[in-house]
Amino acid sequence: MNKALQIRSTIHCDLLIIGAGGAGFRCAAEVLEKKPKTRVIALTKGSHPQKSHTSTAQGGLAAVDPRDPADDNIFHMFDTWKGSDCSADQNVVRKICGAAWEQILWLENRGMHFSRDPDGRLSKRTFGGHTLNFGESSAYRAVFEADRTGKGIMDTCWGETLKRGISFINQCLATELLFKENQCLGCIVFRQHEGEFIRILSKATVLSTGGSGQVFKITTNCRQNTGDGLALILQSGLPVMDPEAVQFHPTGIVGPGILASETLRSVGGILRNRKLEPFMEQYAPKMKDLAPRDLVARAMASEIREGRGIVNPDHNVEHVWIDLRHLPDAVHEKQIPEVTGFFKKYLNLNPKEKLCPVHPSNHYHMGGIPTNEFGEVQTSSQEIIPGLFAAGECAAASFHGFNRLGTNSILELITMGKFAGEKALTFLEKFPDQFPEVEGNLSFLRFSNYMEASGKDNIGQIRDALRTLMTENMSIFRNEGGMLKTIESLKELKHRADKTALSSKSLRMNQELVQHWELDNLLTVSMAITQAALNRKESRGAHFREDFPERSDNFNYHSLISMEQFGKVELERREVDMRLFEEKGQHADKFGLIERKY
Amino acid sequence: MNKQQSYNLTLKIRRFDPDSKRSWIQDYHVEAGRILRFVDLFRKINDEQDPNLAWSSSCEHGQCGSCSVKVNGKPLLACELLVENAVQYFKTITFQIEPLNVAPVVRDLVVDISTAYERIDQIKPYIIHPAPPPTENNEYPITPHELERYVNATRCINCFCCSSACISSHKTFLGPNAMLATIIRVMDPREQEKDQRLKILYSENGIYRCHSSRACSFVCPKEIDVAHFIAVAKEGRITEQE
Repeated sequence: MNKALQIRSTIHCDLLIIGAGGAGFRCAAEVLEKKPKTRVIALTKGSHPQKSHTSTAQGGLAAVDPRDPADDNIFHMFDTWKGSDCSADQNVVRKICGAAWEQILWLENRGMHFSRDPDGRLSKRTFGGHTLNFGESSAYRAVFEADRTGKGIMDTCWGETLKRGISFINQCLATELLFKENQCLGCIVFRQHEGEFIRILSKATVLSTGGSGQVFKITTNCRQNTGDGLALILQSGLPVMDPEAVQFHPTGIVGPGILASETLRSVGGILRNRKLEPFMEQYAPKMKDLAPRDLVARAMASEIREGRGIVNPDHNVEHVWIDLRHLPDAVHEKQIPEVTGFFKKYLNLNPKEKLCPVHPSNHYHMGGIPTNEFGEVQTSSQEIIPGLFAAGECAAASFHGFNRLGTNSILELITMGKFAGEKALTFLEKFPDQFPEVEGNLSFLRFSNYMEASGKDNIGQIRDALRTLMTENMSIFRNEGGMLKTIESLKELKHRADKTALSSKSLRMNQELVQHWELDNLLTVSMAITQAALNRKESRGAHFREDFPERSDNFNYHSLISMEQFGKVELERREVDMRLFEEKGQHADKFGLIERKY
Repeated sequence: MNKQQSYNLTLKIRRFDPDSKRSWIQDYHVEAGRILRFVDLFRKINDEQDPNLAWSSSCEHGQCGSCSVKVNGKPLLACELLVENAVQYFKTITFQIEPLNVAPVVRDLVVDISTAYERIDQIKPYIIHPAPPPTENNEYPITPHELERYVNATRCINCFCCSSACISSHKTFLGPNAMLATIIRVMDPREQEKDQRLKILYSENGIYRCHSSRACSFVCPKEIDVAHFIAVAKEGRITEQE
């Protein structure tokens, strides 16, 4: 074992938040508001909480305004259930939709700068998949803060916790959860600036580490979204749920991977291939470019796969074009100015004159750490782990099932964050005064291996190979042959990574060391995604199997996958909660195994 | 017009090693396509030449403000600077790249941004004493016209480019971004605690430290007219109700 690796100090706290984004902060704010003297510590991997991925969410927050005579919670619940392709949990759907408006007001009353209508009330806009009367017409259900709703949430929740005395540890890694007799008691933390390990003993611990988008080559996700929370859970011998449920957005902008909104197609943008053919006519003769997201993404991927894509030489990715040249100036200037701005800023091209390169972009991980409707983390036999909570994109309660509706993600952050906070408060009250002693043993072993490896390779290049592999085989299209090949390639990449020496052995702000740790997490999450997808011999929501293109009732369950050692997986299942259907109340028929057709 | 497809650039990057406390300038020669961004160049250096060069980024599309650096003296977001724009703007293919001078350097281009944020924390970036909404269980009504007065200031992402460019920022001034955050809550009708805020704004470390160079507005990646807000505050017009 490397001698430089040791615990420098131990800190005690009541509540430990691992990952300071919207969900983590909403949870912390709940606890600090209700019980002001609680000692809360928030860890973040980025340089500051304000830099978290929540800040990049644009669109809005879905919530039914009780003053709206046309809208109703039951419609929001139906849209979410239908969108999930019948794999969201109905107890969770009911709880989140029911609490939505109250949470919007919580944010507004604490200073979030929502956009307003002429009367000074919160403005609302429509969003794909949100309807009135079970699909009859579009619902105006999303409140928003211009095109920076996530930033509004982040700034508000960060401010509230700061006001109430939270402590931050920025730029650090949570390397190991600590358990005693199955109870979670905190974690081991690596502080990047100092190059030191510390131990944090906490009465309650919340995982809110965000998504895993960096698994794929083109993603809308922040650079630090490397699935750390999922890897941490798997390392602890606990399961992740539905990792195969990964959402892709059809039109990501080549380069930064960020979204060119669906508006481009609704105002008349046309997708074209290398020969400039308007290819959507082949795939959806009626709807053409206005076909649903997953269909458009698959058509684009097909064109690219069949050699009708174009290679961008600078970013070395294949793409198709979206043609906006024929649109009137007024459309460019009034209806799509933000997206036009993105093409100008990141590609130096004017969409009025030039074709714009787009590619399906990884966007969201529906799967995650399994929890109940209160955010309490579960084992594979669905027992609750005392002291451990999870909320946000890293968790799966599951509100989104196999496909998430726009504006439901940041709603989940603030509601599940609050619910986890409420539960944590009850848990804290029962906690004895004395902390049990507990030591970690995995972190040093892992870091020791990084420090002592001696092979010549490059972490960045292995990461690129991984991301290319996952993009080619595990994104829009999946099939058995490709997945079996991917599993073998992942093992080879893991072997390469294990042997790669660091170019500097310093522990202080050693970016390469951190990237090695992140690469291990990416490899772990990739393996979980692939194994679960291989096992799910059907297509559901965002999970599309070419060899099994239809949804099958045989797979009407959540996948649970455990992998304490890389590549050694155990698969189990959790039933989908269908109580809205089973309780046989009004509209129960809408919550059965319905078709996902728009 | 045919655009040049790639460039042979020289990046002269300010390095700092916290173990030896040594600082130096290292030259990296990079061949780069015309629309690669400076964050892509840093990554290319990590992958092909030097895995040890430390730098920061997060969202990489101008929403988080993590990748601020100085390029040929100008503070900017490395994720927004395209190679061909940099060549055109600075009229050179050689770039000096330094960390922002707003906090101690941790390693190379990474600064201890938590220290820089202490200035923001001091001004209390939240509503100290929120006014209850006129009708219970409702939002506090704010008309678009009222919101328009300060909404641009709320777009600040604390990238600290303004603070780095500010000619008075390095000593006692809390900085243009901290001033913005204060001004927002003075103008926000939901904040009842105006006195405390005005005290900070007009304190020793407040807006009168500003020399009105307008450097903040010039460098702001979000194109917020920071100097305008500070000028309005200097004139005392921010507490006016319309």
